[in-house]
Amino acid sequence: MNKSVVYMIAFVIIFVFVLVSVHSQEDMERVDNSVFKNPERPSALFRHDEHNENADIENCSECHHLYEDGQMIEDGSSEDQHCSDCHALKASDSIPALRKAFHMNCKGCHLEQKQGPVTCGECHKK
Amino acid sequence: MHDLYIFITGPLAWAAFILFIGGSLYRLLAMLILVNRKERFIFSYMSLRYGLRSILHWITPFATVNMRRHPVLTVVTFLFHICLIVTPIFLLSHVILWDESWNLSWWSLPDGLADFMTIIVIAGAIFFLIRRIVSPEVQFVTSASDYIILAIVAAPFVTGFLAYHQWFAYEFFMVLHILTGEMMLVAIPFTRLSHMIYSPFTRAYMGSEFGGVRHAKDW
Ligand code: HEC
Ligand code: HEC
Ligand code: HEC
Ligand code: HEC
Ligand code: HEM
Ligand code: HEM
Repeated sequence: MNKSVVYMIAFVIIFVFVLVSVHSQEDMERVDNSVFKNPERPSALFRHDEHNENADIENCSECHHLYEDGQMIEDGSSEDQHCSDCHALKASDSIPALRKAFHMNCKGCHLEQKQGPVTCGECHKK
Repeated sequence: MHDLYIFITGPLAWAAFILFIGGSLYRLLAMLILVNRKERFIFSYMSLRYGLRSILHWITPFATVNMRRHPVLTVVTFLFHICLIVTPIFLLSHVILWDESWNLSWWSLPDGLADFMTIIVIAGAIFFLIRRIVSPEVQFVTSASDYIILAIVAAPFVTGFLAYHQWFAYEFFMVLHILTGEMMLVAIPFTRLSHMIYSPFTRAYMGSEFGGVRHAKDW
């Protein structure tokens, strides 16, 4: 009886510890490219928080947009999901393929605002 | 940087492709009109069969006597041309740019292989350069424009190679690459690089004359 309570408490402590340590992991430096089979390029530079602060982006859904039944949810966002959860490696219907989704999102805004990198090697820096 | 990039990949790229395609069509048409006016009889013995037969022989490595006589030159010329034409069309970064601007995409080479083919083109250009300098019979027919043409062709490959590897001054070589690439495209119809446009016709003409009129081989 006592033993299982101790186990239970130990389990909860370890569980909480793991959760916290996952969340306080190092800040994002690059966009993870492991979903691509045999990536051709070094992963793209992207210091998540610093980038969004410098670029003055307040709305998370600028990138983490949320769609349901093909409709964009205006005030919803999807930061709990990876882009690859919705964007497959191959395009389907109106959903752009993953690589193109990244490029349209990142490079698209940089071209529009004339700020931020637009050539391959500035993002995919060795 | 942004205004420059937008300009050279926008209006300037449009201009380059229009001049390349339009210029090539113009040169073709001008040639056909000239032949029609001056030597119309040529059309009377142009033959699809002998023309194609000759082209086929001349695009097959070692299928002609001349090629067997110069094996090294033949190998270099074939590798050089195959890599020169295939690499830019099937290069991943070029395909990505076509996809982004036109929603068109096709199969692409792995970057490592494309990089190797780029080295072959650069090595081929160096071979042609050395040949022009050291071989007396080639030197005899060489003028400054031959070197300039060789440089125009090699430039996009050298700058693309340097940009891909990001060894130094990445952005500078990226811009230079786009500019030299556009320059090469424009140079094709308006310099001796137009042999790309003319060669099938001269070959078909030779083939037809040798096959249909002289009943001989032209290879
Ligand atoms: C400029 C685009 C952009 C903006 C704006 C943005 N994010 Fe992200 N975020 C990303 C990208 C790209 C990823 C990586 C996604 C992937 O790997 O699929 C990411 C990942 C995340 C992750 C996962 C973290 C990790 O380490 O895997 C969280 C959490 C997150 N973002 C939260 C937010 C929040 C909260 C906001 C708004 C304050 C926000 N993001 C705004 C682009 C953005
Ligand atoms: C909840 C699923 C979902 C997630 C997660 C998601 N997307 Fe999308 N995305 C979609 C859908 C659906 C479309 C197609 C919209 C349409 O029909 O026009 C789309 C379209 C796009 C487009 C093209 C249209 C536009 O909005 O400009 C881009 C670019 C894009 N997504 C980038 C991203 C990026 C980058 C991420 C990760 C940070 C991401 N998406 C995460 C579902 C998602
Ligand atoms: C909504 C607009 C927007 C989007 C979307 C966006 N960026 Fe940016 N980005 C900017 C702006 C603005 C700057 C310049 C900020 C500054 O002055 O430092 C910038 C700068 C950068 C820089 C250079 C500065 C640095 O932090 O080192 C990188 C790298 C970068 N962005 C990568 C990305 C990537 C990767 C994505 C896609 C996942 C992305 N950006 C999406 C607006 C955007
Ligand atoms: C604004 C930033 C940005 C620019 C500019 C950019 N990319 Fe990307 N690219 C990304 C992001 C973000 C991803 C998603 C995952 C990753 O690689 O980190 C990506 C993914 C890719 C992928 C799929 C993953 C892989 O490595 O196989 C390829 C290939 C690629 N990019 C090639 C290019 C090429 C070629 C260019 C130039 C024509 C280019 N990119 C320009 C941001 C950029
Ligand atoms: C409109 C003009 C052009 C544009 C916008 C363009 C764009 C690019 C880009 C973005 C890269 C990738 C560089 C990197 O990885 O960082 C590249 C590489 C390359 N380009 Fe182009 N290009 C153009 C014309 C040409 C032409 C005409 C040729 C040759 C005939 C050419 C040959 C190459 C080669 C060989 C490489 C890759 C070298 C390597 O991987 O080793 N390009 N180009
Ligand atoms: C399919 C079309 C083409 C054919 C059939 C063709 C054919 C030839 C032939 C027969 C040679 C002579 C090789 C020798 O010296 O013996 C040659 C040389 C050459 N070609 Fe092409 N070619 C084509 C396309 C191109 C293109 C598109 C370019 C570049 C834009 C190009 C650039 C060159 C260069 C630089 C040389 C070497 C010139 C020198 O000796 O310095 N060719 N080509």
